[in-house]
Amino acid sequence: MALEDYRGDMEMCCRCSTCKFIPMQKVKGAQYVNVCPSIAKYNFHAYSAGGRLNIAAAMLKDGFKYTDKLLDIVYNCQLCGACGVSCNYAMDMEVLQPISEFRLRCVEDGKTNPALDKVIAGLQKQGTMVPGAKGKRGDWATGLKLKDATKEKVDVLYHVGCLTSYDKNMQKLAKATVKILQKAGVNFGIAGNAETCCGGRAYQMGYKEDFLNQAKKNMDMIKKAGIKTLVTGCADGYQAFKVLYDKYNLKGDLEVLHISEYIDKLIKDGKLKLNKKVNLNVTYHDPCRLGRLGEPWIHWEGKKVPGDRFVFDPPKEYRRGTKGVYEPPRDVLKSIPGVKLTEMTRIKEYAWCCGAGGGVNESNPGFARWTARERIEEAGSTGAEAIVTACPWCEKNFSETIKENGSNLKVYDIVELVEKAI
Amino acid sequence: MALNKEVYKEFEDVVGEENICNDPAIMPAYFSTEFAAVILPGNTAEVQAIVKLCNKHKMQFRPICTGWTGMFPPGIILLDLRRMNRIIEINEKNMYAVVEPYVISSQLQAELMKRGLNFCIKGAGTNCTAMLRGHGHMDQTTSGDDRNHLAIEWITPEGDIVRSGSLGSSDEWFCGDGPGPSLRSILTSAVPPGVTPGVFTKAAVKLYHWSGPSAYPVEGISPHYSLSEIPPNMMARYFSFPSVEKMWQAELKIGESEICFELMGFNISMVAANITTSNEEEEETFNRLNKEVQGPGFFVIVVGDTPADFEYKQRVLEKIVSENDGKSLKAVEDPRIEGILMCQCTRISASIRETFRNGGAFNSIPIMGQRDLTIKWAIGAGKAKEPLIEKGYIVDDGGAFFGWGVEQGHLGKTEIFCKFDPGNPEAKAAVEGWQKEQNRRAFTERYFASTMGPQDEIGPALLNYHLWWQKITEALDPNGVSPSGGSLV
Repeated sequence: MALEDYRGDMEMCCRCSTCKFIPMQKVKGAQYVNVCPSIAKYNFHAYSAGGRLNIAAAMLKDGFKYTDKLLDIVYNCQLCGACGVSCNYAMDMEVLQPISEFRLRCVEDGKTNPALDKVIAGLQKQGTMVPGAKGKRGDWATGLKLKDATKEKVDVLYHVGCLTSYDKNMQKLAKATVKILQKAGVNFGIAGNAETCCGGRAYQMGYKEDFLNQAKKNMDMIKKAGIKTLVTGCADGYQAFKVLYDKYNLKGDLEVLHISEYIDKLIKDGKLKLNKKVNLNVTYHDPCRLGRLGEPWIHWEGKKVPGDRFVFDPPKEYRRGTKGVYEPPRDVLKSIPGVKLTEMTRIKEYAWCCGAGGGVNESNPGFARWTARERIEEAGSTGAEAIVTACPWCEKNFSETIKENGSNLKVYDIVELVEKAI
Repeated sequence: MALNKEVYKEFEDVVGEENICNDPAIMPAYFSTEFAAVILPGNTAEVQAIVKLCNKHKMQFRPICTGWTGMFPPGIILLDLRRMNRIIEINEKNMYAVVEPYVISSQLQAELMKRGLNFCIKGAGTNCTAMLRGHGHMDQTTSGDDRNHLAIEWITPEGDIVRSGSLGSSDEWFCGDGPGPSLRSILTSAVPPGVTPGVFTKAAVKLYHWSGPSAYPVEGISPHYSLSEIPPNMMARYFSFPSVEKMWQAELKIGESEICFELMGFNISMVAANITTSNEEEEETFNRLNKEVQGPGFFVIVVGDTPADFEYKQRVLEKIVSENDGKSLKAVEDPRIEGILMCQCTRISASIRETFRNGGAFNSIPIMGQRDLTIKWAIGAGKAKEPLIEKGYIVDDGGAFFGWGVEQGHLGKTEIFCKFDPGNPEAKAAVEGWQKEQNRRAFTERYFASTMGPQDEIGPALLNYHLWWQKITEALDPNGVSPSGGSLV
């Protein structure tokens, strides 16, 4: 659907400001009430979801008048979707979709962000969202003797993802995942150097064509290799394969699982035992694209029923962020002997974003770190020794922010703790 | 009116470049108005400096808090008070809280509930400012509107700082009327035909005793939140009655016996809106519940201070309802429905479902006064909705009105609204016509004088108060920089 298709949704915005805060029932005090990093940082209403919808509606009506400020508003948003969850507690309207479509329109019109252009140039050249990546994508697996899923028959393709493949500090996640899957006796493989970027982060940045190119490449490879199940360790990858590919009718019947879901299944099926004690007080950070944005896509086409209500024929089922992956990572953490999980104030569908999504990490690192600082402080307030996440982009942003600002909080991906426990 | 560079720089020097913007791109976010600039002051001193600059340059300004509603002339300076978001003080002993304009009610309420306190929250919802001028679901216990105002820090339209009530003679916020200047008749924030000119930068609001939980045990995932258990000594019910008269008698008795924390006269359409998670579900639920109720009704929340107190209140409630032939709505007796309604109607988190979800807009006529009189008017206003419903202009709510007790029925609020699609110009015009006519009828048939009615007709009947108010605002605002309109929601 194009931006024009969301005109009615945008006009439904009553400017009530709920998109700025966590759902009211969940407010536990004066602190940690914000849900949208953009309005929390920049304060002008234009940076809120309501403001964005009102701006987009006005531009559809009066024509697109691009200014530097408008582009500043457009690109200083992680597209984390928390606004929509809060709004959709009460309202039947799309919130994130028109905001995302507005960004796609900007890119189509050539109104791009130079920093993001560079990242996309890297994607086009090297097939990765890690600019200046050195070496080959599969180098991390050298010597591990893993199956090549493009050539050998496997039950599961482990899609490693750009950051985990190329960033030397993140390759530990891939190695931990391999160790876990091997311990559970899973017949899995990787695509190695044949793996390419899922395209999800390119889509977030507004580059739809580049996303579609990546999606087609991936699905060609997957179909050719006869892959039925794909497991990803990255929340961005999870959302891309599971939700975005489906949105564009590219997913087919591929089963897509996040590694936290898969480990949870292995534990519950008795295939993976977590025996070693890991004495650690932790809190869990829900990555946006595993949680609220990991909710399956709902294919729908219809028309508004004429009359007084914003209802459609056939009825429209809204994606309200409720069907993301929330319990499996928590169940995995609870299965690790010695781990004590304490929840933060903002969790699950209304979790505060780590700050790294939507291209913000690349276009405005200061804003990404500002957002992460808020989460680190919230995590610290629980008394936890460590914040556990399930996405390398979250881990990287948290770790770098802690390094910059100082904090005793440790950062782990969930696979690191599972690895310690086996 | 665009700001020239020199004037812009003067404002920028007050708040810093990151807190002022005149780029046309941001304007549609704010009320579709071409403001000269939007400015984000961070404290009282900055507000004062901005107001003084507005006087110097004869520029009009308006402040907003969360800014849900408002009417704003083009070319003015908009003061978005978002950065002023601190809870200054919660004084448990003297039962008041001091807040800045962008503290939302949900934040303050969550802090208060931990301390066994609560306060009046606007029906607009806890997503709106905690400061001043509210009436809503909890008025039965927490009163409403300016009756909750204590001391206020006010920047006058000329840029002076006035501290009202006890704050005028000491650093204490406990009283709005002295020792020190009272100004209660001016500082109401919603004096017709406009709001108080200038800017409120801090205000003390009255707090009330709360025997409910320090936090509700909310479980589940949005939008299907529920309570894991009904908190001890609490109960919520909806009762319908065979006639308006019976309902009103029950309402009076409940007020006299002071047994309900909340008495909210929802119509069944509003119950349906509150307990459902989509428009389709709401319509189906309304049709179903509408068959179950026997007539008009209200929703109550009982909160006992002790188990014995709770038992006493339940028994009295049962007796009053029985004596007036009331009937409990079975759906609300279901603990899942009871629990979430209880939570939503004290945390005021579902008002948007009641108002905006259906069509995106609503027009309302709210009246404070004696419930028996205003109910009689509302019945006629409800009848007048029927042709609009038949034509499909407004959502079918059975032509219903609603209302609630204030201060245990000492006062009451009656309200009636039409929900419609603002994209339908015929519907919009029909609703505006209905609103105008019903306001006029209220006055000509001597039910009440609505602040939204024709001031040139109502004013002369009420000692020309509108002219006196005009004189006051002219005296307070000799440069005419603080136009009427706007809202503190």
